[in-house]
Amino acid sequence: MAFFFQELVNGLTTGALYALVALGFTMVYGVLKLLNFAHGDLYMIGSYVGFFVIQWFGGPNKLTIAVPLLLVIMFVLAALLVGGLGVAMERFAYRPLRDAPRIAPLITAIGVSFFLENSALLLFGAQYRVYNTSEFISLSSGIQIGSVTIDSVQILVLVLAALLTVGLRLLVNRTTLGKQMRAVAADREAAEMLGINVNFTIAATFFIGGALAGVAGVMGGLLFNQVTPTIGFIAGLKAFTAAVVGGIGSIPGAVLGGLLLGVAESFITGYISSTYTNLLVFLLLIAVMLVRPSGLLGRAQLQKV
Amino acid sequence: MKRSAIIAAAALGALVAAGCGSSSSTTGGGSASGTTKACVASIGLEAPITGPVAPLGQEQLHFAQLAMITDNLANKTRITLVQGDTQLNPAMATTVTQQFTSNNKIVAVVGPAGSQEVEAVGPLMDRAGLAFISGSATNASLTTGKYPTFFRSVSKDSVQGPQDANYIVNTLHPKALMIVDDQEAYSTGLVSAMVPIFSAAGIKVDHESVSQKTTDFSSLVAKVTPDTTVVVLPWQVAANAQQFGKDLAQEHKKAVIFGTDGLFSPGTFTISGSYVSSFGPDITAIPADSAIAAAAKAKYGTFGTFGPPVYAATHVVDEAIASVCKSGQTPSRANVLAAIKNTNEVTSILGQPIKFDSHGDVVNGKFFLFKIDSSGKYVLVPA
Repeated sequence: MAFFFQELVNGLTTGALYALVALGFTMVYGVLKLLNFAHGDLYMIGSYVGFFVIQWFGGPNKLTIAVPLLLVIMFVLAALLVGGLGVAMERFAYRPLRDAPRIAPLITAIGVSFFLENSALLLFGAQYRVYNTSEFISLSSGIQIGSVTIDSVQILVLVLAALLTVGLRLLVNRTTLGKQMRAVAADREAAEMLGINVNFTIAATFFIGGALAGVAGVMGGLLFNQVTPTIGFIAGLKAFTAAVVGGIGSIPGAVLGGLLLGVAESFITGYISSTYTNLLVFLLLIAVMLVRPSGLLGRAQLQKV
Repeated sequence: MKRSAIIAAAALGALVAAGCGSSSSTTGGGSASGTTKACVASIGLEAPITGPVAPLGQEQLHFAQLAMITDNLANKTRITLVQGDTQLNPAMATTVTQQFTSNNKIVAVVGPAGSQEVEAVGPLMDRAGLAFISGSATNASLTTGKYPTFFRSVSKDSVQGPQDANYIVNTLHPKALMIVDDQEAYSTGLVSAMVPIFSAAGIKVDHESVSQKTTDFSSLVAKVTPDTTVVVLPWQVAANAQQFGKDLAQEHKKAVIFGTDGLFSPGTFTISGSYVSSFGPDITAIPADSAIAAAAKAKYGTFGTFGPPVYAATHVVDEAIASVCKSGQTPSRANVLAAIKNTNEVTSILGQPIKFDSHGDVVNGKFFLFKIDSSGKYVLVPA
């Protein structure tokens, strides 16, 4: 039983990461009907921001500030910088193609992804950058329930992901900006005719999505320690899978999809074998798509003829 | 009048004789040194200079450069090193190899580093008749005769795998162990060599598999049972093993990590109590290597065991080129390949002779075992 709960904790932690990245993915799709394949690379940039903040304050072994303050700076800076990068991406790569055939922004998104990955390679090098989290957050800190261990970083990831998800839900459902985002998602032209500043609304969506990916990147660095220019590809793929399984365009769906994906990976590794993890996880994706093509919480799109 | 003409003729004759004497001394001098012209050639170096194992690749590059400089001075040759960065990636290694094979100045290649890269470039090298010597590719299948121009200055996994497995069985005595491959040729080859030995010894084996791109090992670590006292990681990315070790500690697992030569990375893999085998010895402990070790340390800082085998490989190529020049020939791919096949060094930087068998393996090669102490230092243990 302890093994079950340990794998559950591990799966929920990884799933929370996937969920945060998937949220940004699904928000952009909801508003623009664009699959932003560069979104995973925003996660990668967030990871680098976190790494360089640690180095700025003396490195993991000789920090010059308290750890809680360091974490706040890492998360806030990653959110702001990566959010800003998301806005820039939208302004220069996607806005000019807003009325182009759907394939054009899709190809552009792939191009932006390669651009970000190779820019990081050029600027930061290909060698692994390591957070060395255990040097400033003790491995023995956290909670132990029987033989089930939940360390501090896992607690941080789970709590922060939950808070951000709730905050996003409140923003979308209870604020004017959220109402505007829902209006643009429903019908962009009608929203424009009603006086909504569509450009600002879309830019805000990209900012929020990018910020979430940036925060997820820092979490990923704290959890997995390693940062390279290529980590965005896997993160993006998993986020895309989570968003689609949950129902593309649905915020609760993205969270559910992310958590399901993380837990599925964990249990398959634990109870079957790590050899088959990716195979079975993507089989699960296919199975969900066959049974519910719009995703678990997605709604079938009505097309007027 | 007659007398003046004789003196003039004698003077002219003396001048002509002096001129002829000068020419023959240049030639003679040339003959005495064995080269009538400078011995010029290029060697390609394929190494993961950047990428996931950049520290190892950088070390290989430095030792190749050191060997080239030393041998050029000793042999009065002008060999140059052409670098090719493969990032331990077979696709990139193929691109680099295509560049090298189309460069006629390159008469031999040192590298590539990874077994999966050798598998990718072997046919290209064979087609170009280009000899290539790896200082770190240890998969046993590489020297079954399918790559006739391939050599290695280190021993192979069919030696490493059983040697390590027998040490684990006879010294560590686990009741159960986990062995995780990273889905690359190097790793799966070692697993194939080791698992039968564990099974024959009655050890319960949990064989897992993860991609080299995996960074989250928490779920896999959770599978490590209290009976599992050893986790074998025949991996190439030391940063991954370091993360695995941290996850073991975080989940309070007592298993000891046993890594193979791909994890030999003193700056990156520092989990106390872990074992790491290596195809290269610690050359700072070999008295005959004190000058090279001191020069390497002064010029490049601390180093591990990935550099010296590449030094040995580069030295083999340099000596082959020098011997071709000494025989009066111009270095070409064909004659350098033939010279490498005839290599017979009584001693080398690795503390053992270098002579190749018909498939390119070092005759009587062996592996070395290290244990990581609490300060992260790699200490040699009897294998």
